[in-house]
Amino acid sequence: MEAASRPAVVIDNGTGYTKMGFAGNVEPSFIVPTVVAVNESFVNQSRSSAKGSNWLAQHSAGVMADLDFFIGEEAVTRSRSSSTYNLSYPIRQGQVYNWDAMERFWQQCIFNYLRCDPEDHYFLLTESPLTAPESREYTGEIMFETFNVPGLYIAVQPVLALAAGYTTSKCEMTGVVVDIGDGATHVVPVADGYVIGSSIKSIPIAGKDVTLFIQQLMRERGEHIPPEDSLEVARKVKETYCYTSSDIVKEFNKHDKEPSKYIKQWRGIKPKTGAPYSCDIGYERFLGPEVFFNPEIYNSEFTTPLPAVIDNCIQSAPIDTRRALYKNIVLSGGSTMFKDFHRRLQRDVKKIVDTRVFASNARFGGEVKAQPVEVNVVSHPIQRFAVWFGGSVLASTPEFYAACHTKAEYEEYGASICRTNQVFKGMY
Amino acid sequence: MILLQSPSRYLLQILSTRLHNLDKGVELDCHWVEFDDVRYHVQASVKNPHLLLLSVSLPTPPPETVFQGGLPLGAIEAVKAAYGVAVQILDPPRDGFNLTVKMNFSKLPPTEEYRQALLIKVASVREVVLGAPLRVFLRHLASRTVAPERDMLVALVHRPKESFFLVPQAEKVTVVFPMRFNDSTDTILATSFLQEFVEARRSAGLNNAPPCSWSPSPPLELKGAPLEALSANCGFVTFVIFSRHVEGKKLDKTVWSLSTFHAYVSYHVKCSEGFMHTRMRRRVESLIQKF
Ligand SMILES: Nc1ncnc2c1ncn2[C@@H]1O[C@H](COP(=O)(O)OP(=O)(O)OP(=O)(O)O)[C@@H](O)[C@H]1O
Ligand SMILES: [Mg+2]
Repeated sequence: MEAASRPAVVIDNGTGYTKMGFAGNVEPSFIVPTVVAVNESFVNQSRSSAKGSNWLAQHSAGVMADLDFFIGEEAVTRSRSSSTYNLSYPIRQGQVYNWDAMERFWQQCIFNYLRCDPEDHYFLLTESPLTAPESREYTGEIMFETFNVPGLYIAVQPVLALAAGYTTSKCEMTGVVVDIGDGATHVVPVADGYVIGSSIKSIPIAGKDVTLFIQQLMRERGEHIPPEDSLEVARKVKETYCYTSSDIVKEFNKHDKEPSKYIKQWRGIKPKTGAPYSCDIGYERFLGPEVFFNPEIYNSEFTTPLPAVIDNCIQSAPIDTRRALYKNIVLSGGSTMFKDFHRRLQRDVKKIVDTRVFASNARFGGEVKAQPVEVNVVSHPIQRFAVWFGGSVLASTPEFYAACHTKAEYEEYGASICRTNQVFKGMY
Repeated sequence: MILLQSPSRYLLQILSTRLHNLDKGVELDCHWVEFDDVRYHVQASVKNPHLLLLSVSLPTPPPETVFQGGLPLGAIEAVKAAYGVAVQILDPPRDGFNLTVKMNFSKLPPTEEYRQALLIKVASVREVVLGAPLRVFLRHLASRTVAPERDMLVALVHRPKESFFLVPQAEKVTVVFPMRFNDSTDTILATSFLQEFVEARRSAGLNNAPPCSWSPSPPLELKGAPLEALSANCGFVTFVIFSRHVEGKKLDKTVWSLSTFHAYVSYHVKCSEGFMHTRMRRRVESLIQKF
């Protein structure tokens, strides 16, 4: 098959950002917001004419609508400058929510960003560990029928993050992946490339929440930020200035003693009047990331700190995997990029584990000594797109092509073949 | 009408990022593939941050097209003319590629505007190289000078092992595309799209656009073309280009539109399929609601 001689297309569709590119590269070609701006006038036209009028007119209106839309940054810009375009976010909390928008989004990714012919490449797409099999069928249908891809593999995001294999030179396919993206946080144990489904833990706090929290903190302090800009400013403040503190009480003190050192300035331009404005950035620098360690400061319903969730996750996994899991806790996703995030996580998980070992030693009165447990939180500069990178690595192994579902199989057996995707060599 | 742009979006992004971070130039080694099997490879090092190697491989030509030194006729001249001193052709090219050039960021034009224009031109390398022979013929038409292969049938590669055909004449150039699609749905959609396309041009008063026609069987112009070239499951599209279509700035646009005509149709076919799926999903949803 000729398509196998070309690099596979790897697309990691996230709630916030889509990472896309070609297998075998270290970086995705594009990272764009997962958003579509559609010209609503066309869509309504094709919808209202759906009542039995001329199919051809409808068809052309549909094709026009299909051509008159934008994705990514362009979509955001368009919707700002013109009210004819409405933004739609195809993915929510890691799950495809709007398939029409998703299909359009893929269309632009393929034809306008990557500029490739989808018939020429195998495709590796990703999904959250909680995705339902039906959703995989939909994805398969769109990929095989609209785009005629020759082969498709749908990989589970945290498995790819592990496959990024930057722990050691040898790829270690047992570990816990802590994937904190924009809309979802999952703690996923993987043993030999297989997700231990029953032990997956999810947390209702992710990057978007940190942004909202920072927005709230700045608003409460009375910083003058134009309301239409405040979410965007909060996100940029988060990505540029936030860091993980080791102890918030101490951190408050540090800020109060030396404000000039810790307080930063944000400068912007009001979108409506063009007038410049500025505001202070203070405690939110460390309070933002703190929501993962002390969730009660943000959300009164969910109060388990991330390190405890990780520990619960490992404790619920089969006993013979636990040591290996503690040893390889891998970070993935944009919201793990805060400075010193891995240090704090490692320290806090270690503390929980040590306390338990100490307690059990005390219980047995020092007769049976438990082995100390090694805890390792692995961090790496590419962890922002570790999922994509893992996909890029796996999709460039020869085994990948054999593990894909092919168009011929799809035509013979139907979309249900997309429900499962085999784990293949190279994954472990 | 939506058209593919001639600069490669990714290549342009790489070049602009490099230009704006010359002082902290990172190690670069990436490869990718665009439609019609045009492959790219880019390499740059920390040691010489102002240098960048760009390699391009073109679709495998079918036997009836002529390549000279691994490149379409006129490609070397076209590269030199388009890029000037900032870009140097390396001989031989990198293994597996048809062309390798070394781009020197310290030799870019001094003004921002020209610099940007040059980056865009470099990002459009496939148009420069692959479109070179077509450009030669159309330039003769524009200047009303005699083309080298006047009244002969010329084959130019545009997709792997597929060509399109030209008949250059003094006052016009006739361009014929055999249209082929693999998938059966695509074939049906493409055929009807092409008929609509031709019809729309005839009726919509697009008098300035080149006249075009579609036929299920090979047009007369293809007499003498190799047998394989004469079979096309979506028929044949013929454009007649007159000098008014290639005057001045129109030349580049016409060259690009013609060299990517197949990709353009293919894109529309996919859009139509996407639209039909959207409709089908709505149907299903409204049915479910009724139950
Ligand atoms: N340097 C940074 N520091 C902190 N947060 C960052 C940084 N860079 C990006 N982010 C945040 O990471 C989030 C995006 O991460 P990522 O791309 O992993 O998410 P996603 O894949 O789109 O979402 P999900 O996996 O939840 O579906 C955004 O909330 C973004 O603001
Ligand atoms: Mg993600």
